[in-house]
Amino acid sequence: MAQANLGIEPEILKAIYGQMARIRAVDKAVQAGLSAGKFAFSYWPMAGQECIPATIAQLTSQADYMVTTYRGIHDQVAKGVDLEGLFAEMLGREGGLNKGKGGSPHISDPASGSMLTTAIVGAGAPIANGLAFAAQMRGEDRVTIVNFGDGATSIGAVHEAMNMAGAWKLPVIFLCQNNLVGEYTWIPDYTASENFAARADALGFRGVVLDGNDPVAFYNGMKDVVESVRAGNGPVFVEARTFRMGPHAGVGDSNFHSKEQVADMKERWTVPVTRALLLSTGISTEEELAALEAAAQAEVEAALAKAAESPVTPASETTVDVFADNDAIPRRGYAPVREAEVVPTGETKKMMMFEAIADATRIRMEKDENVWVLGEDVGDPPGGVFGTSRGLQTTYGKRVRPTPIAETAIIGAALGSALVGMRPVAEIMFADFMGVCLDQIANHVAKQRYMSGSATHAPLTIRMMVGSGLGGLGAQHSQSLEAWLLHTPGLKVCMPSNAIDAKGLLASCILDEDPCVHLESMSLIRGVRDEVPLEDYRIPLGVAKVKREGSDISLITYGWQVRECLAAAEELAKEGISAEVIDLRSLVPLDYHRVLDSVKKTRRALVVHAAVEFGGFGGEICSTINEELFSTLKGPAIRLGADYAPIAYSSAIEKSQMPSTQSIVARVRDAIKTYN
Amino acid sequence: MSTTLTIPKLEMSMSEGTLAEWKVEDGATVNEGDVIYVLETDKTARDIEAPASGKLIQKAAAGELYDVGTEIGEIV
Repeated sequence: MAQANLGIEPEILKAIYGQMARIRAVDKAVQAGLSAGKFAFSYWPMAGQECIPATIAQLTSQADYMVTTYRGIHDQVAKGVDLEGLFAEMLGREGGLNKGKGGSPHISDPASGSMLTTAIVGAGAPIANGLAFAAQMRGEDRVTIVNFGDGATSIGAVHEAMNMAGAWKLPVIFLCQNNLVGEYTWIPDYTASENFAARADALGFRGVVLDGNDPVAFYNGMKDVVESVRAGNGPVFVEARTFRMGPHAGVGDSNFHSKEQVADMKERWTVPVTRALLLSTGISTEEELAALEAAAQAEVEAALAKAAESPVTPASETTVDVFADNDAIPRRGYAPVREAEVVPTGETKKMMMFEAIADATRIRMEKDENVWVLGEDVGDPPGGVFGTSRGLQTTYGKRVRPTPIAETAIIGAALGSALVGMRPVAEIMFADFMGVCLDQIANHVAKQRYMSGSATHAPLTIRMMVGSGLGGLGAQHSQSLEAWLLHTPGLKVCMPSNAIDAKGLLASCILDEDPCVHLESMSLIRGVRDEVPLEDYRIPLGVAKVKREGSDISLITYGWQVRECLAAAEELAKEGISAEVIDLRSLVPLDYHRVLDSVKKTRRALVVHAAVEFGGFGGEICSTINEELFSTLKGPAIRLGADYAPIAYSSAIEKSQMPSTQSIVARVRDAIKTYN
Repeated sequence: MSTTLTIPKLEMSMSEGTLAEWKVEDGATVNEGDVIYVLETDKTARDIEAPASGKLIQKAAAGELYDVGTEIGEIV
């Protein structure tokens, strides 16, 4: 074949092969080590798919962002991830890119632009949107490429992400490496789609099908795609057709494909085919290619040998990288003293809680252009269904983004933008909708700092409303789900009981270096009006507040149940029982110092929350009080939460199933009678 | 430098495997990439290739079930 007819610059084809050789050397070294039993870890082979990243590497730089999956070692290598750090990470070593805490399925390497790797199929796509959004807002010409397999096209996260990217014209490429099989299930068995690229058309943007095994065709197709996305013409979905020669996980040839299929794939395998092309066109000589392959092998061997010298990440690292601030981590027997807020003395204005929330957001947006707001209906009008972002879009324009009704896309976009230093405030409206996006919150937002060994972190805020108490909203708009969040290490959680605290706590959330969830009680958001200071102030996370002093029992609570407990204390006072009311304000970090101090004095404790009592936060707090103050207590610390039932539509049931002034009073009376 | 051969963990769920058959005689020379033995798991039988070139020393009998990580041979 004459070079003139090749359709690609010879140097580029050579460079593509150079990357293929590096990927090949890494795969061989890993497979050899696993086969020989030299090391043991989970490995998802990608042999057969080398052409895709090897080619993309010629069209992108380290300034471009990449998100990929566990089957993405080829993507990492071609992106320019440091090989020694990559191997050390696979081996779980201190010297790993992510301190051995993430492993190969969770590589984050901002230096090369490999921003996040997920082991949850399809979950990278919403996050890629956030990276692309940051680039778009900052006027940068970076392109974000999110890699996933064909199997991921079945999952909702990819659909949600594609829809949002189309609506926002984000500079993102959805790169579907279609290897024809989702784990062990073939395409006609899991989808009736003829091709995946057509799904982009349905969502209003361009989709293309490219031969992902042919470097010349793929290069030319991708060149056009990358240039278009870089120029701001919106997203493109690329279906890169390829095949996977190995099993879903493990080493060796696929034990799932037929012998004929394996033989056919080996015949058409891009690595030897590209090599043969370089030779037949006279671009390279056998000696040149042999030297190039030897260099790749030497690079890999040296990196692997150095990685193996790095010590195994020790157990002493367990709680490091959960938060930037180690003090926030709940630990048994740990009750640090945190300074209370400086009480603002300036001018105040009567505000409802929703106005205080909008005010806190406005101040942060004014002071930092990285702060942005997203969520369903957050634009003007209506400025949030409860008015919590009223007026913000009018002032800040594109920094306030009403989103599709797609919670996974919302949290993913927030996370992606936070990875590169933006400070999103994402509204999920009702906490009940958290179920839709729990993967993004629990598997990605909460764990990103840890899994990346603090190579990245996620300074984002999620706002959601909890626990009706209003009646008539039913089982899917009334839940108090804080326990879901508290049980996920990596999230800070707070829940104000009044408008003043809401403004100060939300400010702390937005300024925090780690993900915070601001839970807003539905019955307070338009149910309280307080004299809210106009100035910019913060209420530190992890500082509880004594709302009423007392000497006979401590009522420990948060959110709208503070109001119920204060009313109960008033009732109890009439009977000569002096109840102290502690408003926790923040649940993680938790102020055990002030809680224990109060109970030391009153020698009795009742924890009250609107959430279901069984398996709830009350059990955790009571257990700590009982353990720490056993010999001081007059009786065991006890709890009062909602009955074990979904929240009913009937307001008579709802009223009775959650704690109320009456039921709190009754529980206190009973406790004092029993343990006198 | 010798390379130790141990029963590899081919899949996440694998804890043991049967060395079904040695494909190369004890003491014979192998090249990297040659199939040296067949490993059977509850799911499949798989050809295992030599991770290095050299002389194969068998240290375990064929037809037996071994735990993952058991040393079965060496290439010197």
